[in-house]
Amino acid sequence: MSIFGKKPVETLSNGSQVNQKSLKMRIWNNRGFYLMFLPVAIFVLLVYYWPMLGIRYAFYSYKLKNIHWVGMGNFVKLFSEPDFWQSFTNTLELSIIKLLLNTFAAVLISVFLNEMKNMFMKKTIQTIIYLPHFMSYAVVAAIFTLFLSPSSTGFVNETMKEWGFLSSSIDFLHSKSLWRPIFYLINMWKETGWGTVIFLATLSGINPELYEAADIDGATRLQKIMHVTLPALSNTIIVVLILNMAKVLNMFEPVFVLYNSRVYDVSDVISTYVYRKTFLTAIPDYGYSTAVGLFKSVVGCILMLICNQASKKVRGRGIM
Amino acid sequence: MKRKIVSVILAVSMCTALLAGCGSKSSDGVLGEMEAPEEGTESGDFELDNINIIVDGTLTATVENGQDAFVEQWESAIAEKLGHEVKLNITQLDHSDYSGTVSRTLTTGAPGDEGYPDALIMSATMLRQYQTTGLLWNLKDAYDNAEFQSRLQYPEVNENMETSDGALYGFAPTYGNGCVTYIKQSWLDKAGMKAEDIKTFDDYYDFLKKVSDGKTYGVIAAGYGKVDETPYINYMPEWWQGAYPSFYEKDGAWVDGFTEQATVDALARLNKGYKDGVIDPDTEEAGTKQAREKFFSNDQSTSEGVFTYWAGTWLRTLTDNMAKNDVDNDLGDERLVQLEPIQEIKDTWGGYLNREAPVWVITDDGDGNDAREQAIFDTLFETMLDGDRVQTLWTYGAEGVHWSTEAESFTTNPDDPEKKQDYDYEDGEFHLRPTPNDPNTIWKKNHLDPVLVISPLTNGFTDTDPLIEEGNKFFLANCVDAPAAASSETLTEYLEDLTTVKTTLINQAVVGEITPEEAVEEYKAEFGDISAQIIDELSAE
Repeated sequence: MSIFGKKPVETLSNGSQVNQKSLKMRIWNNRGFYLMFLPVAIFVLLVYYWPMLGIRYAFYSYKLKNIHWVGMGNFVKLFSEPDFWQSFTNTLELSIIKLLLNTFAAVLISVFLNEMKNMFMKKTIQTIIYLPHFMSYAVVAAIFTLFLSPSSTGFVNETMKEWGFLSSSIDFLHSKSLWRPIFYLINMWKETGWGTVIFLATLSGINPELYEAADIDGATRLQKIMHVTLPALSNTIIVVLILNMAKVLNMFEPVFVLYNSRVYDVSDVISTYVYRKTFLTAIPDYGYSTAVGLFKSVVGCILMLICNQASKKVRGRGIM
Repeated sequence: MKRKIVSVILAVSMCTALLAGCGSKSSDGVLGEMEAPEEGTESGDFELDNINIIVDGTLTATVENGQDAFVEQWESAIAEKLGHEVKLNITQLDHSDYSGTVSRTLTTGAPGDEGYPDALIMSATMLRQYQTTGLLWNLKDAYDNAEFQSRLQYPEVNENMETSDGALYGFAPTYGNGCVTYIKQSWLDKAGMKAEDIKTFDDYYDFLKKVSDGKTYGVIAAGYGKVDETPYINYMPEWWQGAYPSFYEKDGAWVDGFTEQATVDALARLNKGYKDGVIDPDTEEAGTKQAREKFFSNDQSTSEGVFTYWAGTWLRTLTDNMAKNDVDNDLGDERLVQLEPIQEIKDTWGGYLNREAPVWVITDDGDGNDAREQAIFDTLFETMLDGDRVQTLWTYGAEGVHWSTEAESFTTNPDDPEKKQDYDYEDGEFHLRPTPNDPNTIWKKNHLDPVLVISPLTNGFTDTDPLIEEGNKFFLANCVDAPAAASSETLTEYLEDLTTVKTTLINQAVVGEITPEEAVEEYKAEFGDISAQIIDELSAE
C-alpha cells in the first residue's frame, strides 16, 4: 500500500468499506496545523536529532585533530575496562537504592503529614522539608563536607568527641563503608520533601467516605493507614518508581560533588567515569567517551522500554 | 499510522547518520585533517589585525581588575610600534579546568575561527604533550632572532625546553619559580623555637608536634602529593624529600619514581604525620585556595603553623591576607618566616624545586607558510620583552590604573586606624596604585614577575616592595631546577589513570588504609607494564 497516491480503504466494524482521503490530501486539508507545527519540528530536529550525528564518533579515535576509524575498537576497550564495569554496577546500585529509599521516605512522610490535624504545623513542616530541594548539590556538598570533616573544623566529629562518643575523628566521606550510607542520607535529606508533593496530592484525592466507613467498622488509625491510605497510594508509588527507573543511569551531580579517589570503588558512576576520561585527561579521546555515552544510551533505551511495558501493565497505558 | 511514519523517518535518519559516519572515512583514514602544507613563503609579509590569546589566572589584570585598560594601552602601544592596529582578544580561563578547556578548544576549532587562540599559555607538562601533535609552531628561529636576545639574563630557561632535534615550541618569558616553606613567627614563639633551629626533618617534626594540639595542626597543603601538577612534591617538600612520584631522569636514565624506595619512605613519614595529628586531615581534599585560606584564617584556633607555597610575591600576599584577618598584627611584615630547606632536601635535590617555566605557544595553521606565526611572535612575544612600554604593561599593568609616575597621595584602609597607611609620591616617581577591585591593597604585578623575567625592563620602573624582594632573593638562594617533565605517547594516553591511581594510593597509605609498601606494590601490579612501556619510550627518545 502506498502512502501517497492511492486512496486507502478503511473497513468498518460492520464489514462495509469506505474510501479514506489520501495522506497527501489530509495534509493539504490540515496545512495550517502542519505549518504551525513546522517550527517545532525544525527545532526538535536541529536541537535533538542533529547532534545525534555525533554518535558516529563512537567508532572513531578522536584525539585533537587526529580522527580515524577504529570500528568497534572503542567498545572492545570499554568492555575490557574493569573501571567501566565498576562504574556501571555502581550506577545501578546507587540509583536504584536511592530511588527506593527516597520513595519510601517520601511515602512515609506524606502519610504522617496527611494524619496531621494541626494545619499550621503541617504547612510549616512541609515548607521546611521542601527547602533543601532548592539548594544546589554543590552547596549541599560543601555544607556536608564541612560538617563531616575529620579536621578540627568538622562539626559532627568535634561534637561527638566532646560528648565522649568518639576518641578520634571518623573520616565519613573517605570511608568505603560509610560513603554510601552518607550519600543516601544526604539525598534523602535533600529530595524527600519534594518527593512528598505527588503523594500528598494523591492523598488529598482519597474519598473521605472510605475513612468514615473504616471508622464505622471500628478501624484504628494504623488500620486506616494500612487498609485505606496505602492501597490508595499504591498506584502512584508504582508510577513514580517506574517513571524514575527509566532515568537511573543519568546520575552525575550528586555523586560528583561528594566522591573522591579513595571511594571510587563504591561511588564512581558512568557519568563521573566519562567526565574523568574526557575532561581530566590531557588529550582526551572523544571517540572513547562517545562510545561510553552510546552504550549508556542503549541501556537507558532498554530500561525505558521495560518501564513502558511495566507501565502498560500497571496503568493500562505506557509512558510514551 | 502517523506515529509509524515519524518513527520510520527518525530511525532512517539515525541509520543515515551512522552510515554517513562509516562512509565518510577519507582515503588515509583521517577525518577533518588540516589542509596539506604548501611550500613555505617568506615571513614578514603578513599583517596581523587581530590576535586571540588564551590565558590563565597568571594575567592578574582580570576583567574586574582593569583588563580593559590593559588591552586598550597594549593596542595603542602596538599600533605605535608596528605602524598598524592590532586588536587583542583575551580569553581568560579558570585554573581548575584550564588544560581541559584548552584541549576542547584546540580540538573543535581551527586557526581563524572566532575563539581559536593564536597564542596561549601552557604549563611545561602541557607543552610536552602538545609539542608532538603538529598543532604548535616551532618558534626556534623567531626566538633566536628576537631583539630581546641581547638582553637575556636567563637564556637557559628556553634552551632547556628545546626538543632533541632542536625545535622550540614554547616561549618562557620568565623562569618557573617554586615553593618555599613559610612558618608563622607567632607559632615559633609559642613553641619556643627559632626558624634557624629547624635544620633537619626531626627538628621540623619536633616543631610540628609542639604546635599541634588536636584543634590546631602543624601543617596544611593542597594534597599530600600533587601528582597532577609538576613538580608534584613542592607543596610538602619536607615530607617527600628526595622522592619524586613520577617519571624523571635520574643519573641519565629514566625511572618511575613512584616505584622507588624513596617514595615508600615518604609515604611512611606522611602516614606518621597523619597519625600523630601534625598534618591537617583537610590536606587530602584541599585545593590551594582552601589550604591558604585556612592558613591565614581569622580563626587561628583551627589553623596551622606551616604552609609551603609560592615564593616571592606570595610572601607579600600571604602576609597581607593575615593582616586583613587581623592575625598577628603586632608582627607586621615579620609574620611569616621562610624556612631554609632542611638537610634531607639539601642532601637529595639540593634545595627547593624551581619548576619548569610555564610557556607561551603559537598555534600553527599548518599551511606551511610561517608568515602568520612569525607575525604573532613579533606582535606578542617580541614586544612582551621590549624592555619598555609593552613589557611594563605585562609586568605591572595599565598606566594610571595599576601604576603611575604622577604625583599622588592615597590611603589604604582609611577607616581602620590600626591598618591605615598613607602613600605619597612625587611627580616622576614610579609606584604601584591600589588594586582596582580591592582599594585597601596595593597592586603587586601583572603577568610577568619583574624578578623572574628572562629579560629585564630597561626603563627603570621597579617595584621596591622589600618583602617581595626578600622572598625572591631567598628562593633564588635556595632552589634547584626541578626534573624535566616527561612526555611519551603512552604516558599521555594513561596520564589520567596514573594520576588517579597514584592519588588514591598516596591517600590510602597516608591515612593508614594500606601500608606504603602495599601502595607501591599495588601500583606495580596494576600499572607495571604501562610504566615499563613509558620508560622504554622515554629512553628511546
